[in-house]
Amino acid sequence: MSESQDVTQRKTSPNSWRSRMGIVEWKASPYLYIAPFFLLFAVVGLFPLIYTVYVAMRQYNTLTGDAGWAVCGATCADTQASWLGNFQWVLHQEAFWVALRNSVSIFLLSSVPQVICALLIAWILDANLKAKTFWRMGVLLPYVVAPSAAGIIFSQIFSDRMGAVNALLQAIGMQPIMWHGSAFWSHIAIAMIVNFRWTGYNALIFLAAMQAIPRDVIEAAVVDGAGKWRTFRSVTLPMLRPTLIFVIITSTIGGLQIFDEPQLFHNAASAGGGVNNQYLTVSLYLYKLGFVNVTVGQPNLGRAAAVAWFLFIIIVLVTILNFWLTRRMSSGSHVKRDKTAMKHLKQRQEAELLKAQRSGANARIAAQAASATQPSEVA
Amino acid sequence: MSVSKKVLASLAAGAAVVSFAGCGGSGDTASSTNSDGKVVIKVQTFNNFGYGKSTAERPGADLWAAYEKEHPNVKIEETVASGSDDARSAFNTAISSGSDAYDVYAADIAWMPSILAMPDKFLDLSSYVKGNDWLDWKTEGGTTDSGKLIGAGNDIGPTALCYRSDLFAKAGLPTDRDEVAKMLGGDNATWDSYFKAGEEYTKKTGLPWYDAMGGIWGTMKTQIKEAYVKKDGTVVATDSTVKNLYNQLTATTDMSAHLTQWSDDWNANFKSDSGFATIMCPAWLVNNIKGNSGEDFKGWDVADVTPGGGSNQGGSWLVVPETSQVKTEAAKLVAWLTAPEQQVATFKAAAQFPSSPTALKNSEVTDKVDSFLNNAPTGKIYANRADAVKVIPYTGSQYYDIDSKLGDALGRVDVTKEQTAAQSWQQFVSDVKALS
Repeated sequence: MSESQDVTQRKTSPNSWRSRMGIVEWKASPYLYIAPFFLLFAVVGLFPLIYTVYVAMRQYNTLTGDAGWAVCGATCADTQASWLGNFQWVLHQEAFWVALRNSVSIFLLSSVPQVICALLIAWILDANLKAKTFWRMGVLLPYVVAPSAAGIIFSQIFSDRMGAVNALLQAIGMQPIMWHGSAFWSHIAIAMIVNFRWTGYNALIFLAAMQAIPRDVIEAAVVDGAGKWRTFRSVTLPMLRPTLIFVIITSTIGGLQIFDEPQLFHNAASAGGGVNNQYLTVSLYLYKLGFVNVTVGQPNLGRAAAVAWFLFIIIVLVTILNFWLTRRMSSGSHVKRDKTAMKHLKQRQEAELLKAQRSGANARIAAQAASATQPSEVA
Repeated sequence: MSVSKKVLASLAAGAAVVSFAGCGGSGDTASSTNSDGKVVIKVQTFNNFGYGKSTAERPGADLWAAYEKEHPNVKIEETVASGSDDARSAFNTAISSGSDAYDVYAADIAWMPSILAMPDKFLDLSSYVKGNDWLDWKTEGGTTDSGKLIGAGNDIGPTALCYRSDLFAKAGLPTDRDEVAKMLGGDNATWDSYFKAGEEYTKKTGLPWYDAMGGIWGTMKTQIKEAYVKKDGTVVATDSTVKNLYNQLTATTDMSAHLTQWSDDWNANFKSDSGFATIMCPAWLVNNIKGNSGEDFKGWDVADVTPGGGSNQGGSWLVVPETSQVKTEAAKLVAWLTAPEQQVATFKAAAQFPSSPTALKNSEVTDKVDSFLNNAPTGKIYANRADAVKVIPYTGSQYYDIDSKLGDALGRVDVTKEQTAAQSWQQFVSDVKALS
């Protein structure tokens, strides 16, 4: 700061070393200040991203490294080396499609109830409760639990024989559920672990957004005779739209990348993802492919990188779809009605403006007329 | 001016931090000695090898302190991974990137094929371990086809039969461990005789005879020389040898407890009154049985018999990567750790069964009696079981991939019961095809 002041004071020698340095500092320092982030991003974000593209096109083994361009191999009866090889191989794997099905299923089973529950919880927390902080802390508490701890505890609760849930079911005379054997039930159980951890977290984000809604808007609705539910639906929810989009997009990304919970759900038995891939998710498949079953000579890391890229593309697509749907959901269905309403409003406004102008003009004319007559009276 | 001095000073400090941090991971020579000028040897193990100081969770023989005392210029840093899977991913990353993250790695039997497939990346230990002796097949397991010894044998997993004498008594079966062995045929025990006894037992009691098909298979597969892949690379996993055993095993579904090994249900069934009566029992499994049923649980016993002939399950090697900055020192440490005396010490402290014949003859090993297993002479029993091992499977690079698929196939029949044995075999065949 002091140096740049120096520069402005010594304008007499604009070409001196000092002043030139001053100019460089003045121009470059903003970039230097923000450089750490971009450098860090380039090292831990951009480079891995680009390198994954490269690895995905190569016959890359975890242990022995690069061995040329990818080959799809026996599964697609193609020994031609091409950069597409690993992608083709992945698309030919039944396990990949099963994993994709499981990821989407677990994502839907967790995200949908999660966002709805979080909204309702936030709504309740937003009301006039006693011991507010206590309830809010309580909601966030599960989030503090490490994902692995939650996974281990829930995998015990959902054990096929000795699990607490099955003990309860049997106590009330129902058949025990094979939590690890059936695809559907294993997804339900894993979704429970996810919901347990994330509902409270999302509820607090919604709560923060709800508290940012101006109270007078809600009061106005109440004065207009809207009930609690109606206020929530017609005032709170539309005003939460940006937050809703944020939460839904983050839980989409998290949901499709789900790894810890299914990994721990197999409770340390050897077959991660289930003996029939009942709960093998895409990221679990990626991990097993790249890092667990490492066969020397197989381009396993290249294939894992290809899976990672498919996952990336799927997440982007689902996020865009989500974004579009959320916009429609919270406002889109009213667009038509809004348009006509806006038209009416505009017409009314224009009419009022005209009226006002006219009345204003009339008043002016009247005033002018009055002032034209008055002075003469005074005079 | 003072401002820029401060900036310079903080920059210098930052650079210092960065360079210190760099030291930890990078392979410059500064990382091999610490500030006292001592040679630092970094060791990665998993579970419990019994090398460290003894604690309640991890009994150990405190070997590091002993070695450091003998070699004052050496400092050993051990990193214990929670399981072999974690250890393996760290190992894979380090070997593939060529960084010498550790100077000594403990390698599980499942990793050995990939290690043996890249012999250039590991140190030939033969000139260092001259004083050590191992069982022939253990040495073979750490040697490449070209005769380079890159794995120094640590422990082995000879397999006996553990059984619940309390449940045996209820079913009217003999409870004495010698009679149990005799009942199953002693040294000539076959899977047929084992399953026949099981049939009787389940008929009488309605209770499961063994824990999981996966557990039985774990022993069965180690009794075949070339189970999944032949030495010339042909995949024989779907041929008659494996298929016949698979059929024999899946036909005994009535005797299974339908559990997945290592699952919570499996853990909980060790002390249950309606639990399984027998389990294939590698030496290291005794610790798990103890842990799962509780130190004061009475009932578990061990018989000196392996259906189908001797079997070795598991057991580790120590390897030194070529990239290590202190590979000579590391190799010396490996030689010392795998010498008979140290093997005896870790067996006494942490039940790692020795792979050295000298250690096996040591009275401290042969006389070991386990009070938990009804005072069974475990030292003697497991030594006999190690003697009985005649076949060491050829584990080509695809062995463990195929093995996990067969494990899944058995799980579909045994645990989730969603497929018949024939259907599951069909899927196994197509799974193996997809592994290419």
